[in-house]
Amino acid sequence: MLRRKRWLFAILAILPTLAIFAWLRMYPIFETLRLSLHKWDILSKNKPFIGLANFQELLKDRLFHEALLNTTIIAFGVLIITIPTAMVLAALIHYRTRSRVSGFYETAIFLPHVVSLVPAAMAWKWIFDARLGPLNAVLTFFGFEPQAWLFDPTLSIISVIVLCSWQALGYAVLIYLVGFKSLPVSLFEAAKLDGASGPQSFWFLSMPMLKPITLYVSVVTLVSGFNVYAQAFVLASDAQGAPGRQVRVLVLDMLENSFRNYRVGYAASEAVVLLLIVLVLTLIQFSLLRERGRA
Amino acid sequence: MAAVEIRNVAKSFGPTDIIRNVNVEVPDGAFVVLVGPSGCGKSTLLRMIAGLEDIDKGEIVIGGRVINDVEPKHRDIAMVFQNYALYPHMTIAENMGFSLRLAKQSKTEIARRVGDAARILGLTDYLHRFPKQLSGGQRQRVAMGRAIVRQPQVFLFDEPLSNLDAKLRVQMRGELKDMHARFKTTTIYVTHDQIEAMTMADLIVVMRDGVVEQIGSPLDLYDFPANMFVGSFIGSPAMNFLTGTVRQHDGQQVFETGSGFRLPVAAGAGASNGLAATLGIRPEHLTLSSRGEGLGGKIVTIEPTGSETFVVVQLGADKISALLRQRLTASIGDELWLAPQAGTTHLFDSATTKRLVSA
Repeated sequence: MLRRKRWLFAILAILPTLAIFAWLRMYPIFETLRLSLHKWDILSKNKPFIGLANFQELLKDRLFHEALLNTTIIAFGVLIITIPTAMVLAALIHYRTRSRVSGFYETAIFLPHVVSLVPAAMAWKWIFDARLGPLNAVLTFFGFEPQAWLFDPTLSIISVIVLCSWQALGYAVLIYLVGFKSLPVSLFEAAKLDGASGPQSFWFLSMPMLKPITLYVSVVTLVSGFNVYAQAFVLASDAQGAPGRQVRVLVLDMLENSFRNYRVGYAASEAVVLLLIVLVLTLIQFSLLRERGRA
Repeated sequence: MAAVEIRNVAKSFGPTDIIRNVNVEVPDGAFVVLVGPSGCGKSTLLRMIAGLEDIDKGEIVIGGRVINDVEPKHRDIAMVFQNYALYPHMTIAENMGFSLRLAKQSKTEIARRVGDAARILGLTDYLHRFPKQLSGGQRQRVAMGRAIVRQPQVFLFDEPLSNLDAKLRVQMRGELKDMHARFKTTTIYVTHDQIEAMTMADLIVVMRDGVVEQIGSPLDLYDFPANMFVGSFIGSPAMNFLTGTVRQHDGQQVFETGSGFRLPVAAGAGASNGLAATLGIRPEHLTLSSRGEGLGGKIVTIEPTGSETFVVVQLGADKISALLRQRLTASIGDELWLAPQAGTTHLFDSATTKRLVSA
């Protein structure tokens, strides 16, 4: 009897949270899945079921392919830059400056993560600016050719990757720092006596022992990388100043299809593809994490 | 193998002096135990020998070479940590061979040396497991194996048995001693457990507050403690201390306790009459005596263990404990008289706490 009462209480207690969660989180996902199988132009009442037609069209859509490719390059580019840089920076902060100024470095590196995206992107737009930007000024000072960072198709993607990495770095360093602080000191002392140098300890001990942290940070970085939008929108305008065209990304493509072309069902099918990609990548990363747990 | 000399070594953390002018000579091949209560500086001293702490003053010499500024890896030492410090992501074989791998030894050489060490320690079947799949005792052996494969000049042990249960501790104590007998490698072992120190050491260094209180063989320390601290620290159950005065009584020098009991002091004791002194008597050196002889009082605790009986007797304001070989029919509240065996008491100067003479 008591047990049943407790159950009832527990369910009643979590029901409001669960309801809000379902409404805000689950419903939009299911709605997106449903919409992806329908044709809808926002305005009309009719949403005819068209099966997988949206997905079939996606296979032939050149703009979608471009957006998917750009987004994938950006997401993995950010991952490849952020993870090693964050790990090395966290190690330097942790081992080189243990107490006195480490707080300053932590804050300095974390700050980009909390700064509003648009002003930050505007600042980087100035840095990358072909004529007025300090980056080209530095390049010409050292005798290199100035580059059209935000207009060249390849360089503009690199610019977006740099901006995204700069932002992702703060969070990744913070998580790594927590990881470094949790590593037992005696292991490193033992390694010192075993003859390991600083870099060897980092390679043979810190890196493998921080694997769970690396996996977590990778998942977070990759997922946010696939959702890149504002960075590309602000940073990479085309020659006419139309924002976002230069580096077309998936989220931008979806927005255009939804609200400019009034093809919400089609945009929903893009969202489903994005969801599947992120889901598969996350599953792969989690399975790697579990493998380590078994060892 | 090598001798280790610690010469006038000092260390402080900020304003706190951890080690004060310590001098210890560890002979080649000896098993030396640094023992003392928590915070006495014994672990810090060991870490200074290992190179994990800087030496503020003085010098440490290993095998005739001053190693103050020598990197830990070049000191030719191996250390076993209290928590074993095994690398959790490496197998037992990788853990044991890690130092050889860093020293760029060939794979066959590493496998041979790890295999040899594993055979000695009975770890052959566990080489492919991970540390968390082993029991505490097995992990302890792996930590020892990691030290052995390096074939160092000196072994350092930092309270290696304190994480094990009592039974395993006794077993590992024996294994460590066997190991030392086999390799004859100079060993410096830190513990706060005086039983470990007594049973394993060739030489014990008793430390307190960063100072060496006494250095000697286990039985020397037991029989001739230099001061009250060593007397109380070495031996279990702990030594009894009775405060009183040295007096002349019936033409003989005696020690009179605060409660009025008199015990003889041997002639030529070097204690002047009227000296405020403390008499140390080990519980196991007390025997039953007839009424009026020695020390008498009411029993407050009685604990029979079969082979021995532990009793605590109230002597006026003092309490005295005794470990008796025989069984007692007495019970709490009964009167009991005890007398120390001749030549087993220790007289200390109450002011300096230093030992005066064997009374």
